[in-house]
Amino acid sequence: MSDGIKLDTRLYNFTTRCVRCAECTFGYKDAEFELFCPIYKKFNFFTYSLGGMAQLARALHEGRIDLTESVSEILYKCTSCGACAEVCAEVDFRDMMELQHELRARCVEAGQVPFTHMAVIESLKKDDNVMQKPKAERGKWAEGLGVKDITKEKAEVYYHAGCKYCFDEELWPAARSAVNLLRRAGIDLGIAGKDETCCGGHAFELGYQGEFIKYAENNMEMLKTAGIKTLVTSCADGYYAFKVLYDMLGKKGDLEVLHITEYLARLIKEGRLKPTKSVAMTATYHDPCHLGRKVEPWIRQEGKLKAGEIYQPPRDLLNSIPGLKFIEMRRIKENAWCCGAGGGVIDAYSDFALWTAGERIEEAKSIGAEAIVTACPWCKRNLNDAVKESNGGLKIYDIVELVEQAL
Amino acid sequence: MVNIIVCIKQVFDPEAPASAYKIDAEAKRVILKGIPPVLSPFDENALEAALRIKDAHDSKVTVLSVGRNLSKAVLMKSLAVGADELLLLEDGAFEEMDSYATAFTLASAIGKLGGYDLILTGREAADTNAGTVGSGIAEILGIPSITIVRKVELDDGKVIAERVVSDGYEVIETPLPSLITVSNELGELRYATVKELVASRNKPIMTWNAQELGVEPPQVRQARLLSLFIPQKENRCEIVGGETAEEMGANLALKLRAAQIL
Repeated sequence: MSDGIKLDTRLYNFTTRCVRCAECTFGYKDAEFELFCPIYKKFNFFTYSLGGMAQLARALHEGRIDLTESVSEILYKCTSCGACAEVCAEVDFRDMMELQHELRARCVEAGQVPFTHMAVIESLKKDDNVMQKPKAERGKWAEGLGVKDITKEKAEVYYHAGCKYCFDEELWPAARSAVNLLRRAGIDLGIAGKDETCCGGHAFELGYQGEFIKYAENNMEMLKTAGIKTLVTSCADGYYAFKVLYDMLGKKGDLEVLHITEYLARLIKEGRLKPTKSVAMTATYHDPCHLGRKVEPWIRQEGKLKAGEIYQPPRDLLNSIPGLKFIEMRRIKENAWCCGAGGGVIDAYSDFALWTAGERIEEAKSIGAEAIVTACPWCKRNLNDAVKESNGGLKIYDIVELVEQAL
Repeated sequence: MVNIIVCIKQVFDPEAPASAYKIDAEAKRVILKGIPPVLSPFDENALEAALRIKDAHDSKVTVLSVGRNLSKAVLMKSLAVGADELLLLEDGAFEEMDSYATAFTLASAIGKLGGYDLILTGREAADTNAGTVGSGIAEILGIPSITIVRKVELDDGKVIAERVVSDGYEVIETPLPSLITVSNELGELRYATVKELVASRNKPIMTWNAQELGVEPPQVRQARLLSLFIPQKENRCEIVGGETAEEMGANLALKLRAAQIL
């Protein structure tokens, strides 16, 4: 039992604005895939929705309920994808995300967090990664690439691989492809190898804001020392952390942050990379939340509505690959259905994460796609696991691998 | 069977970055956002000492913690790594106690539990760094204590401990029951896997409030917090010049001598 939660006036006012219309549970209207909030579709109860969370927050603030294990479980079952706030007429996306960040931070302070998240954070503190793997293995993904190490040599552009690509061996080819493509385009590229550390974004989303600050400070110090002005990453979570969260913290400075899809699309447009080989398949694209909705609000705050999201570059890349037939699913871009891995759900509620990914796979199959292409290691891992669970039938690709195949 | 009690304090993560800390000087309160409570690191060392004894001898390890709003999720880590049971002393009366009141309350609970052979605590808590609760418990219970220990072994009803001193260590032997405060030199607490964390949910957790414990902590505080502030640190950097490396070295030596460092 805790002392309850006191929200600041602005966030409290936000919780009182919900009129319980349940619009937050519905997005793209379609006969088969009408719901786009995974947690609501799975648990089918209003508490598991943006409106429901707002009511929970209000009740916590007013002291009508305590921050118990059950309340915490509801808060942590949300994939934090942000689809709800795209349709809610009452709230700004930023308020919604801020409320969630606030509630999770309070859960952390009260020690009301899933066990699995505690293990993830313990691993982060001990080994600087969220994959519960030894620190010494971090640089293995890049062995034999012969790429510069920014802790020893100067490089113009820094490639941040991120925890998932560094420690999930099945994902190594995508990170290696990214490095190969950038060097092939003549980019003076460097990595930090075994000295790379987590961006801290995962910790932030789990509510461990203190840990996040630590990693943000460490990373920016390392980049400053190395004289890096441009960072490129294949990790969607990492992109969100460096681009949005570091900026919110006031640590980003003038660092240019690019996602690999943006960078590759730019290089193809400039003619520095030319996809010529045919990659024959019918593929659809899954929008990672961290490249779409979650990048928007910060830009929106600056008055640049919908200028930050990365929706078009991956589509441009797919359309540039000869022989590839690109088809769209129904729930795309700001209305995309989450893969289910976000917000720490993949760590704490893996069955729910797989169920959510399974829904996406069914959607892709329904439009006749042979493959789902994505641009986030967490999405790829979760979709891949869900495919294995359902005995195959569909292939999951990292977009960078396909671009390399086409060159 | 050796009956071991480990006293563990729940503190806010001392490894949180300094920039995450804020002070409310008026309320004399530390404000922390998104900083989790954790087992005090020295107490983790004490738990590791208990588990090493359990590895070698038939033992029962009971973890004891006192406070208000204790997080079961955090304290259950002790069960996950191998402790057998957890006893939480939780009550509004146990909030913000000073060292004496804490030692008194813990000693009362240990007395009520009875049948103990060895009590282990951290050398000091990571938040207050007072380092007096362990010795206080031993004093109240009237048993011997050894402080700041880096190694603990049991041998035929005795405890043999290596006590850290500035230029090495002392080896001290004492009969059981006794109390030992453990230092970080003993080693880090073993790792709890997710599987062990989940399995720990089936281990027993007891909770006693002040009434169930049968004592009220002392009302008169032996220590009072006068003020709380973040110390201001000023760093000044001076580049020592010189034409050659030797000259720079000589100039540096002169500066250090002037500052009475050399």
